[in-house]
Amino acid sequence: MDDLLTDFIAETRETLEALAGEIVAWEADPADKTRLDAIFRFVHTVKGSCGFLDLPRLGKLSHAAEDCLAEVRSGARAPDAALVSAVLAIIDRIGELTDALEANATLPEGEDEFLIAALAQGHAAPAAENSAAIAKISVMPTHAPTRTISRSIRLPVELLDRMMAGVSDMVLARNELSRLLRAGGNSTTEVAFERLSLCVGEMRDAITRTRMARIEALFSALPRMVRDLTAELGKTVKLEVDGGDVELDREMIEMIRDPLTHIVRNALDHGIETPDQRRQAGKPEMGRLRIGARQAANQILIEVSDDGRGIDAERVVRKAITAGLVTSEQAAAMSWSRKLDLIFEPGLSTADHVTGVSGRGVGMDVVRANIERIGGTVDIESNPGQGLRLSLRVPLTLTIIPALTVSSNGTLFAIPRSAIDELVRPKGDQVRIERLGGEMVVFIRGARLPVVDLGRFMGLTEETKPTLLVVLRAGGGERYALGVEAVHDHEELVVKPAAPALMASGIYAGTTLPDNSRPMLLLDVAGIAAAANVGRDQSVVEEAPVEKTKAKAALPTLLFRDLDGVARGVRLSLVERIEDVATDSVIETGGIQMVPLQGRLTKLYSAAALPASKRLRLLRLSDGDSAIAYAIDQVIDVVELLAELASTPVAGPIAGVLLHDGDPIEMLDPFWLFTHAATMPANDHSPLCLVADAEDPWAREVLAPLLAAAGYRVTFAGEATQDRISVVVTSSGNSPEGIDAPVVRLRGTPDNDGDESIYRYDRDGLLSALRQHVAGGK
Amino acid sequence: MALYLIARIDQEIVALPATEIGSVVEVDQIAAVPRVPSHVAGLFALRSRVLTVIDTRASLELGGIDRDAAMTAVIVECDGHSYALLVDEVEDVIEAGQPEPCPALLSAAWRRAAKGTIRRGEDAILLIDPATVVAGPEPLAA
Repeated sequence: MDDLLTDFIAETRETLEALAGEIVAWEADPADKTRLDAIFRFVHTVKGSCGFLDLPRLGKLSHAAEDCLAEVRSGARAPDAALVSAVLAIIDRIGELTDALEANATLPEGEDEFLIAALAQGHAAPAAENSAAIAKISVMPTHAPTRTISRSIRLPVELLDRMMAGVSDMVLARNELSRLLRAGGNSTTEVAFERLSLCVGEMRDAITRTRMARIEALFSALPRMVRDLTAELGKTVKLEVDGGDVELDREMIEMIRDPLTHIVRNALDHGIETPDQRRQAGKPEMGRLRIGARQAANQILIEVSDDGRGIDAERVVRKAITAGLVTSEQAAAMSWSRKLDLIFEPGLSTADHVTGVSGRGVGMDVVRANIERIGGTVDIESNPGQGLRLSLRVPLTLTIIPALTVSSNGTLFAIPRSAIDELVRPKGDQVRIERLGGEMVVFIRGARLPVVDLGRFMGLTEETKPTLLVVLRAGGGERYALGVEAVHDHEELVVKPAAPALMASGIYAGTTLPDNSRPMLLLDVAGIAAAANVGRDQSVVEEAPVEKTKAKAALPTLLFRDLDGVARGVRLSLVERIEDVATDSVIETGGIQMVPLQGRLTKLYSAAALPASKRLRLLRLSDGDSAIAYAIDQVIDVVELLAELASTPVAGPIAGVLLHDGDPIEMLDPFWLFTHAATMPANDHSPLCLVADAEDPWAREVLAPLLAAAGYRVTFAGEATQDRISVVVTSSGNSPEGIDAPVVRLRGTPDNDGDESIYRYDRDGLLSALRQHVAGGK
Repeated sequence: MALYLIARIDQEIVALPATEIGSVVEVDQIAAVPRVPSHVAGLFALRSRVLTVIDTRASLELGGIDRDAAMTAVIVECDGHSYALLVDEVEDVIEAGQPEPCPALLSAAWRRAAKGTIRRGEDAILLIDPATVVAGPEPLAA
């Protein structure tokens, strides 16, 4: 059942119960104003909800009762016994209909009309008779009890928090027990422990979910707001809302409410033009506003886009220069997106005039500050004349934060992953630490960043040359490098606010208790920047080169969820297409999976067993000549990612790891995939290989397919061919006469008997010999 | 009549209102917190809760507590946060009457923390407000 409907039923029933006493009191004394007000509020609320939920029957009843009660309140009508009975009958009816709604049953409709008619003033003449009739009706449905047990309850959030704390305690106790068991347990207790472990884990998930709510709670207020605002502004706008069923933390929804409201107001006020202006610009009169939410990995992406006039970055820059936020020299060095980013600067409004709706210069900076405070990001994309798109990315919950643990001199700290740009090791020319005026700075690929040494900043050590640098985004486009001694772990941490004395220091965002039961502090990245006096001006000056190197090094990358659930990426240039195929079309032979793509069997690489579903999604990767298919679960996104990555030492399908929005993304190694998994389809230009032993079944059935799979065209001795033979393979020692091509001899035994021959099952040896000869013959 | 917890901080015997005390625990490992006021000794995990440890001696400007010994802490709740107040020793829980006003001639720190005196037999004992101990010394006007 719809969440909203469940809420409505729960609320109505709760109010009805509370109202029962009022109703009786009102019946005893119809002149009692406070009772009347309480009942009026109830029918009014029901009426409002019904319009929203599309429940016409309830709506009609409550509307009739409301009208009648309004007359009584204004003194236009005296509350007589008949009226009281009629209203009470309607309230009873509302209760019955609510029960029926929950039970999914229907009640006969005709009686509603009768109840409503009973409210009418003139109807009250034969009072006694009438109220008897009403009494009969209101009693009637009780013959068929429709009331079911409610499946939804309301709980104070505080109780949920206590449950969550209880489960956290259990998890810690479990970890302790697990340590003891490892020290000296037996297998029977371990099995029991595993089961307990599983239960605790499931319970934690379930309780975490109780804190989640649909984002619908946020979106449901939008249609009304858009309607009111457009009416006020004299515009027509079509609102499209999508993804209301995405779930996130209740608290998070509250944190997003104001920023989202602000963005929508801006879009309606400044983005979308008046119908006249739109007609002149050749656009449909009705503007479009799209609001969508979806989950991407452990973040929620909320996009607000309109087809209005967009934001002209050049105008933003002129305003910023006028407001003294940047100098014209700085502005000249800025990229378009950096200029656009200026609208997030405090004290800058692009609206030329202030309206009642927005444009007072408080706005986008507050939006960004609010989103960043909860570990999210705001991106803006503008096409002047075409529209504007704002993307908010926020974590799923406020309390569980993905973090990186770092340490200096043995003291551990956690850094929210959303604030981390990259990890670098000062080494070589690419990353160089230097001293400027007593302060450390680091040059990373040409960009200069201030360095804050964690050990010295915290008073834990004397200043040392840091072994590792964590490049952090301090908000507002500022970046700096935090020098640490070691990086320990990526962890999902449950973060709680720290005591006021700690928060007052301005450098901590909260406390957390990792599984080792040693309390740890979460660093406030922006606070440290402020406390260490990492200058803002300096960063702005440095912004332009950073932007440039970034732009140069960023490559479009397809992010996808692999079959083993890991988020991976592959450079978009390698992806020829994304295809869906029937899972049973995959052929498995000799440990190799093949799939027919465009009429050709292509090797299929999958990181895990193929899913049981009917359809399988594939990436067709191509390097121009050869192609492979890569099975995936789903495509996440296409983003620009830096070209450089932290490489993995082991050769394999993964080339290395990149951070995207703070999440590690494993990048596929196209080199490895193509060397190990690619099918090289033979074409007319492939080297032609002549197999000398045309009569030998081994040559026909074993050798020839191997050669074909390796990308050679194969012909047999005696077959006519126009093309030049590149290489001859023989296992009998015979070589056809009159062919000017190198000869590869095969032998039947592994022992090397001194000649140049190759053991016929030495696949690698044979292929490499063929390659050498083909290359030499050219 | 009300219940009071009697503890020793440095050489001073003090009373804390028992209604405000959650429990008394032994504190061993304290995780240090850099760059905070000196009366904040660090963090301590009590089951899944993280407590902020307050060095009461430092808070009352009596120097610092000896951190090597096994430490006793009184757990209190203050503005929704849990604190562990380090004391030298917990002596007793007693019942006593309404607190009486403090005598004059207290040092500034004691004057700030003391809410009155209670009687244990012949002795007068200073009654301490946990919230002021948590708040610590007033920052020096720079």
